[in-house]
Amino acid sequence: MLELRDIAKQWDHRPLLDGVNLTVHSGETVALLGASGSGKSTLLKIVAGLDAPERGSVWFEGQDITHQPPEQRRFALMFQDFALFPHLNVQDNVAFGLREQGLAKAAAREQARDMLARFGLANHATARVWTLSGGEQQRVALARALITRPRVLLLDEPFSALDASLREQLRAEFRDRIQAAGMSAILVTHDEQEARAMAQHAWGVRGGRLVALW
Amino acid sequence: MTHRMKAAPRGSLRWLLPAVPLAFLALVLVAPVARLLAEGLGATADAGNALSWWSLWQDEYLRWRLFWSFAQAAITCVLALLLGLPLAWVLARLEFAGRATVLRLLMLPFVVPTLVAAMGVLALWGPRGWLGEPLANAGFDLEDSPFLLLYGNLFFNLCLVVRAGVDALEQVSATRVAAARSLGATPWRAFWRVEWPAMAPWLASALCLVFLYCFSGFGLALMLGGQRYATVEVEIYTLVAHELELGQAGVLAVWMLLLTGAVALAYAWMEKRLAAPGRSTPVVRQRPHGLGQWAAVAGALAVLGLVCAAPLLAIVGQAARALLWGQGGAVLLEPETAQALWNTLRFSAMALALATVLGLCHALAVRTLDLAGAAHGAHSARGLLALAWRAAAFLPFVVSPVTVGFGLLLLYPQWTASLGLLVSAYALLAYPFVAKSLSTALDNLPASYAQAAATLGASHMRVFWRVTLPLVSGALRRGMAFAAATALGEFAVSLFLSRPEWTTLTTLIYQRLGRPGAGNLDAALVLACLLMALALLAFAGIEGKKDKPPHA
Repeated sequence: MLELRDIAKQWDHRPLLDGVNLTVHSGETVALLGASGSGKSTLLKIVAGLDAPERGSVWFEGQDITHQPPEQRRFALMFQDFALFPHLNVQDNVAFGLREQGLAKAAAREQARDMLARFGLANHATARVWTLSGGEQQRVALARALITRPRVLLLDEPFSALDASLREQLRAEFRDRIQAAGMSAILVTHDEQEARAMAQHAWGVRGGRLVALW
Repeated sequence: MTHRMKAAPRGSLRWLLPAVPLAFLALVLVAPVARLLAEGLGATADAGNALSWWSLWQDEYLRWRLFWSFAQAAITCVLALLLGLPLAWVLARLEFAGRATVLRLLMLPFVVPTLVAAMGVLALWGPRGWLGEPLANAGFDLEDSPFLLLYGNLFFNLCLVVRAGVDALEQVSATRVAAARSLGATPWRAFWRVEWPAMAPWLASALCLVFLYCFSGFGLALMLGGQRYATVEVEIYTLVAHELELGQAGVLAVWMLLLTGAVALAYAWMEKRLAAPGRSTPVVRQRPHGLGQWAAVAGALAVLGLVCAAPLLAIVGQAARALLWGQGGAVLLEPETAQALWNTLRFSAMALALATVLGLCHALAVRTLDLAGAAHGAHSARGLLALAWRAAAFLPFVVSPVTVGFGLLLLYPQWTASLGLLVSAYALLAYPFVAKSLSTALDNLPASYAQAAATLGASHMRVFWRVTLPLVSGALRRGMAFAAATALGEFAVSLFLSRPEWTTLTTLIYQRLGRPGAGNLDAALVLACLLMALALLAFAGIEGKKDKPPHA
């Protein structure tokens, strides 16, 4: 179970988050909805350990992880721009996290190729990431996140760079894959339809606080 | 909320990064300049010396030197803008065969050592030059005119302005131009109302740099200025090396520092404004149509050929003549040449290694401070500190090599002929290229790469080695290539701090030029060609292959 307790953060001397409390149970997907600049992405970065709260704490499975560095949390974050590494090919992008877990290069690549096959991307294993379409890049990003078996998956507007039809198709595919992996997930989005399609519960981020939506 | 790459180290490394270049700048730049200031103050306080801060402006000779230093830099800026703007437009907006090669060759004059460039100008326009000789026979004596110096300035700086103009035009959004046209603007009006305002800050930034290079330039002014059109930097060198008037030289150096400092501050401020430009859809280049556009392409290539390529071709031609039919061949077999070549290579290699470490530390520290500043707001103390540290990379550009050499000579008289000091001075002049190139690359890296790597389990050092460094390696190589070319062609500092047995190729060329006889001139031409080849080889070898396609 992931818990955020009384999280506060300022931006340019103004409160961006002001006493945020949130609980995400195991296997549950929660959506955070809000306008641009409402602080929802900052909240996600605080959960990932990429940003530090000025007040409050982050707990996981009963442990305070507020000051734990991101590489030790095993929370995978998927970015709006995919953040695929342009200097690595597709399989090395997917294998990146496994190598960080200490797996040998050959073994990591083999697992990455298996994962890519499951995502229908086996033929692109040695391709450069910029040669892929937007949807393919998004799948590679999800494969890279899931292969490390993260404890929590964090999704920051994951479909905003895609066109409408592809967005709908990937939404369903991602929901099924996340559920199959049985992990907790937080989805940040400004699209209510997307939130309804993917999450069991949703919260609005307004005035630095969370408001329950469903 | 920052969208830049997070490369901020933790713990003691966070402080070590700025500490290394800071200590270096303090010892090799700030302290010598402070010593120079003290020398100037001491001289003005000495009643017997009859010197004061303002006496320079009352002395007609020195007033002319200051005025001319300023004027030649300003005239170069105006000429570079008038020629560079249409050239940039042609290269950015028209698609023609060889365009990419021309753009790549634009960097060439920047890599050529100053001394070689000056000899190239003389080989073309000098009294025995390809064009200079027939002109002199026709009664046009260019030697006693400012033409040679202004032409030499343009050789180096026109490419800088053209490059900045091309970059700026490629940042202009195609949709904005299209919007202007659909609202009734003619192409000419669309240029002035949409493209020009977007270009102006880039051009202003480039012109600041041109002004700095010309105002504080030494090698070109020494070789091409003659008695009348030499600049203050040459005057400082003459006062120190030949007349031993340290006090007067100190006062002059301080004035130069104040004037260049003001321009450099403007430059740093503009650079910050231009950092991390937004990505936009560029205007698509079109093949030239109509006689006017083809004439524009031909004219642009002719101007580039005459200003930037002709001096290099002239020096290669003159060197080939000296080698085949003159007395230039013998110099290549002389032990003095082998020694100079060895010295040039080892000093440059040592300086490059030091410059790379300093540049890397400086750029990463800029990133660390930028992140801290961004978290607290741009106008917070940390934000201002970040801006100040970014500007500190330009300090070696602000202070001319002559001032550096003179200051080091005064502050560390016991070490003036030590290898450590010489290499440090070389590295000081070279490392801003590494720092600037890396800082720009780090500014433009999306934050999400490092963040993604961290959430995938990479520690901070692993993020640096596996993600940040590979992604900025192209910029690092480019910065190192410029740094190597700078070190190989270094001239002013070598004159101040070298010993006789440490002759480099540049000082050997200068010595040969100072000796009488056609044999020495031929030898200098061949050595200049050798130095140019060395600089180009080093540049091409270090820069290596071109960058990979843009980030996904």
